[in-house]
Formats: sequence, C-alpha cells, structure tokens
Amino acid sequence: TAGNKIFHFGACRVSMSMTEIRAGFTAIKTNIQSRDPIRSLSILSHPHSLHKVKSPDRCCITHHLFDFYVDKVFKHCKTEDSFVNRKISSIANSFLSLRRKLRQCHEQNNCVCGEESTEKLKQILANYEGLNVTSAAMKSLGELDILLDWME
Amino acid sequence: SGELYCSLPNPRNVHFESINMKNVLHWSAPAGTGNGVLYKVKYLVYGVGKWIRKPECRNINTTWCDLSSETSDYEEQYYASVKAFLNGMCSDWVETTRFNPLTDTKIDPPMISVSSTDNSISIILTAPEKWKRSPEEESISLLQVYPGLQYNVSVLNKKTKKRWLFSISNNTLVVPWLEPGTAYCVSAQIHVTTPLLDSGFSKEHCIATLKDK
Repeated sequence: TAGNKIFHFGACRVSMSMTEIRAGFTAIKTNIQSRDPIRSLSILSHPHSLHKVKSPDRCCITHHLFDFYVDKVFKHCKTEDSFVNRKISSIANSFLSLRRKLRQCHEQNNCVCGEESTEKLKQILANYEGLNVTSAAMKSLGELDILLDWME
Repeated sequence: SGELYCSLPNPRNVHFESINMKNVLHWSAPAGTGNGVLYKVKYLVYGVGKWIRKPECRNINTTWCDLSSETSDYEEQYYASVKAFLNGMCSDWVETTRFNPLTDTKIDPPMISVSSTDNSISIILTAPEKWKRSPEEESISLLQVYPGLQYNVSVLNKKTKKRWLFSISNNTLVVPWLEPGTAYCVSAQIHVTTPLLDSGFSKEHCIATLKDK
C-alpha cells in the first residue's frame, strides 16, 4: 500500500500504512473535535502523555489501543452527516486490518504488558468510562491524531 | 473581573497560522467596528483545560498574537481564544479549533547549496529549523521532528529544457553524466508522508557545469 512503513513497537516490527487513516481523519477532524466541548480532559493523554510510555511497552499498548478503538469507540460514533460517517467507517476498516497484523505480532513476540502500560491502559478506560458513551467515543475519535502522532 | 456588557460583535476567523512551528494566532476585527477595538487573548493545553491569559496580548489593537512560546511542545494540542473591547462594550470569547502543531504547521522549502564539475552537479539540502525562543536556544531541525522527511529535487537543463525529478531521504544528491559548459537549475521541496506535509518548492539555484578541458 502507498506509504507503507515499518513500525517498531518494542519487539514487534509491523509494516503498515497510516496514510489512509491520516487522510480520513484530517477530512473530519474539525467536525469531530467541534462535537467535543470538554477541554479539561483527554482520554489518551490524562494524566500522562502517551509519549511517556517506555519503548518495550509500545507493543502491548498499541495492540490494546487498537482493540479499544475497534471494540469501544468506532461503533458509538454515528453522526447525522453521511460524509463523516463514511470516513469513520473507512478508518474503522483500516484499524481492523492493522489490528490483525498487530495481534499476530503481539502473539508471536509474546508482548508482555509491563506494570506502567497496564496502569496506562486502566487510566484510559477510566477516562473513557467517566463520560457518557457517546461523548467518550466522540472524544476518543477526536484524539486519533494523538495516537497516530505517538505511533509515528 | 467585572465583565462589561458583552454585546459587541465577535472577532472573526480566529485561527493559528504556523510556519516551522512558529505559531501565531490571527483574527479579523468584529464586523462593523472601525478603529479603537482592543483585544485580549488566552490559551489552554487540551486535556489540562485551564485557560491562561497571555499578558503581552492584553489590550492590544493588533489582530494577531504570537503564541509560539506557549505552544512549543508539539506533543501537546492547544486552543486559543480572543475577546474584543470597544467603548465600554465587549464581545464573547471566540475560540480556535483544536491546534496540533505537529500536523497543522506549514514547512518552509529546504535550503540548497550547489557545486559542479565538468559533468556532474552536487546538491546539499538543509531542512529548516523548528522555531526557537532565542538564537542561543539549541536548534532543532525539522528532520528531527519528522523522521520520515524526504526531499523532492528538480534539476532542469536550461538549454534543452529537460527536467529530472528525484525523491531522496538523505540530504545530498549527485547528478552525473551531465553536459559540460551547460547551465542547470535546481529547486527542491520537503515531503513528509505522515502526517502529510509538503513545503513549496525552493527558489531555483542555477549553476553551469565546467567547460571541457
């Protein structure tokens, strides 16, 4: 695929293209983020930035974050705008195929979740469950660039 | 703070203009207001959510405010907001969309230096630096910010008008098998695949290959 790159997540090396996801998100970013009025909470960055995650834990965190987006976020992000909905489902499909790659890699390399990443994942879920599901899902979707920036 | 009666029209088009992560807030004056409008500015880090006033942009009459220092951590995202005042009246606060310095900045073209032999041209490219507070501060090349940064280089034979395009990741390029005593013009562009960021093409640098001995 255009823009395929080798990503290193701890022990995992995965060839992926973020170009389509980035393009899809850029097209709906302002629309999605304008639906999130809460400035004082970030699902992914509260209380600590993803950039604080240590390299060996990247494999485990990335794998679980893809699960989080596929299982908890995309399905609750319906809007009244068909263009936005189409872009969301396109991003969701890209996540599904990337998740398969990450899952294989996660199993082959036996990516162990360290204490810090387990705590970080718990915090993300707590941030998410602290809001009603639609607000939490929309806020998480609006933070997709935080995840992509960190992955890259 | 004893807010005044806020019926003044709002500032318009409040947005960040960013080049090499020099992040400047811009806006347009409220509709129908002549001179004399003053403004104040505040900003916040997304996820922290505490609005912080920018003292240097309090009661200003310009329609921009440099927030580069306050938004220099490109691992964070930001909002900024502007309020207008005129003759004892004020407007509402008007916010930007969420600003992500990493994806929302524009990048300048690379700097080029060119040298030649009788049948080749050597090109050295330098990516621009990230904005910094003072000359003494350590320089950070945008190459460090965007590890996937590449260069698109165009080489034009002025005589035949034939053009070559190269896409390279490292910052040097030698173009061999050229005609002696001929003028060639080089220009280059920065290309980042994700996030998708392209600079414009640089000004052309022309050089002639040496004549045959």
